[in-house]
Amino acid sequence: MLRVSLLLRSGGAARRFSSSFSGASVLPPNLLLPSNLVDPARLKRPPPPADCPLPLLRKCDAAVPSHLSPVQTWVETLQRPDGEPLGLAQLHPDVFAVRPRLDILHDVERWQRNFKRISHASTKVRSEVRGGGKKPWNQKGSGRARHGSIRSPIWRGGGVSHGPRGPTSYYYMLPLKVRVQGLKVALSSKMAQDFLHIVDSLNIPTPDPQYLLDLVRHRHWGDSVLIVHVGDEFPENLLQATENLKTVNVIPAIGLNVHSMLKHEVVVLTLDTVKFLEDKLLWHDQRYTPLYPFKLPYADFP
Amino acid sequence: MSFPKKPGSKALDVLQNLPRISLANLRPEPGAKKTAPRRGRGQHGGNRSGRGHKGQRQRGNRPRLGFEGGQTPFYLAIPKYGFNEGHSRRPQYQPLSLKRLQYLIDLGRVDTTQPIDLTQLVNARGVTIQPLKRDYGVQLVDEGEDIFAAKIHIEVQRASEGAIAAIERNGGVITTSFYDPISLGIVIKPVPFFLRGQPIPKRMLPGQDMVPYYTDAGNRGYLADCEKIQQARLALAQKYGYILPDISKDELYHMLSMRKDVRQIFFGLAPGWVVNMSEKKILKPTDEKLLKYYSS
Repeated sequence: MLRVSLLLRSGGAARRFSSSFSGASVLPPNLLLPSNLVDPARLKRPPPPADCPLPLLRKCDAAVPSHLSPVQTWVETLQRPDGEPLGLAQLHPDVFAVRPRLDILHDVERWQRNFKRISHASTKVRSEVRGGGKKPWNQKGSGRARHGSIRSPIWRGGGVSHGPRGPTSYYYMLPLKVRVQGLKVALSSKMAQDFLHIVDSLNIPTPDPQYLLDLVRHRHWGDSVLIVHVGDEFPENLLQATENLKTVNVIPAIGLNVHSMLKHEVVVLTLDTVKFLEDKLLWHDQRYTPLYPFKLPYADFP
Repeated sequence: MSFPKKPGSKALDVLQNLPRISLANLRPEPGAKKTAPRRGRGQHGGNRSGRGHKGQRQRGNRPRLGFEGGQTPFYLAIPKYGFNEGHSRRPQYQPLSLKRLQYLIDLGRVDTTQPIDLTQLVNARGVTIQPLKRDYGVQLVDEGEDIFAAKIHIEVQRASEGAIAAIERNGGVITTSFYDPISLGIVIKPVPFFLRGQPIPKRMLPGQDMVPYYTDAGNRGYLADCEKIQQARLALAQKYGYILPDISKDELYHMLSMRKDVRQIFFGLAPGWVVNMSEKKILKPTDEKLLKYYSS
């Protein structure tokens, strides 16, 4: 259940913070608004109109089902700091416009966090605590309560009855198709909420991190950016610029995952990345069940 | 509505006006995660914790399952009889109905221009064979014989008479052959076997109790005589009342008459050969003893 707050709708969040002694609505300088707030300064880009003069730089490689139409988006560039789009691109609807299954997103993100988890918390049971083999005092006659060992759980310093036992693994695997669907849902929700940007290539003119930050702020992209690149060689300028930046990160396309996509506000893909992702994610829709692991060669499908 | 609705588009439109989906916003569907009830907690799980009132029930001292208070229990009173004796050693055959076979052919998952082998059926994901569960192959069942209309060359492990009639009525060829468990494992998953780097073994002959089945022409066994098979085809045609089409005048006669050797597992590969998939080479043995062993 996503709660829609009316405050955000009106955009009057800024107006509530007016100072008491001046008429103009001045924001205090040390105000930190949550980035989750719908920011009126972050202008929503309208989707490209049908009669746009810019060239279509990319069409979908795979066949689009006849009852769906490809998603049209702007293609921008990182070479120039201004936000003029270079052209348009068409994205496959079965990857970038699937149903926003938030429960799948939750499941996949929870799996990502937990399947690697091994909790090393371990306590000793009464038999493992040092000592406590001898009966402390006679059963009868001493006047004290009857006890069998000094390490029973009711004693101070005794063993723990039902504590964590040794390293426990929380490993479990979600079906492959669920994980694939999670990626598709994440990409579709980023696209729907206008947090996905397509870029022609990742070459930037300077290795200066400030250039990227200025670019991001000028285009009102958001606080954190995830740049996804395909291939073995990464552009050096970009690597140098993002090396010491915490909010702008570069990952290879094989490392794309739901957690990173949700953690960063904006996801930036190149045209090559889009092709790679579409190939990989659409293959799972029409494949046979595996007889043996997919890494071994198959004759009938790639 | 005359134009088709795009699935999920309404939800995506609604999403545009909602806050950003982030790690703080995720939650499961309401009602998806139900906490398991715990005994000894709360009004309903507590007090006696579902154990009843006093006695052996509450104290956990009930006698073993089947005990009848001293009377000879049912499971001892009834005498033993070997209904299920050796059930785990009986060969099992995964059924394949003609209806399913026709479905696979219609969808193009099975190629009718080549002989249909167990490997082809498994590659088409038509059947699932588990050789470790005493499966010895696939059996053809005659459900769907009235719908079946495809000329195929098929090799199975068992076939009912109606299924044989249905295939031969359409001008096809059916053979029943035997695969021992190791050969079966290789036939089902050839690629992992080739990656092992072992030479292809020779297929073993059936055991004593299966030899009569595979030497009988009525079952189209692979060890039966060719002339007897021809006579059996004519007899079956007479019995079921159809005209037996002449295969020798068929354009695909060469494919329909392809037969595997008794010791052969794959068409085109003989026992003793090693297949190297990465370099795409086949290595054949040259030693006399090996050749003599593999050709016996």
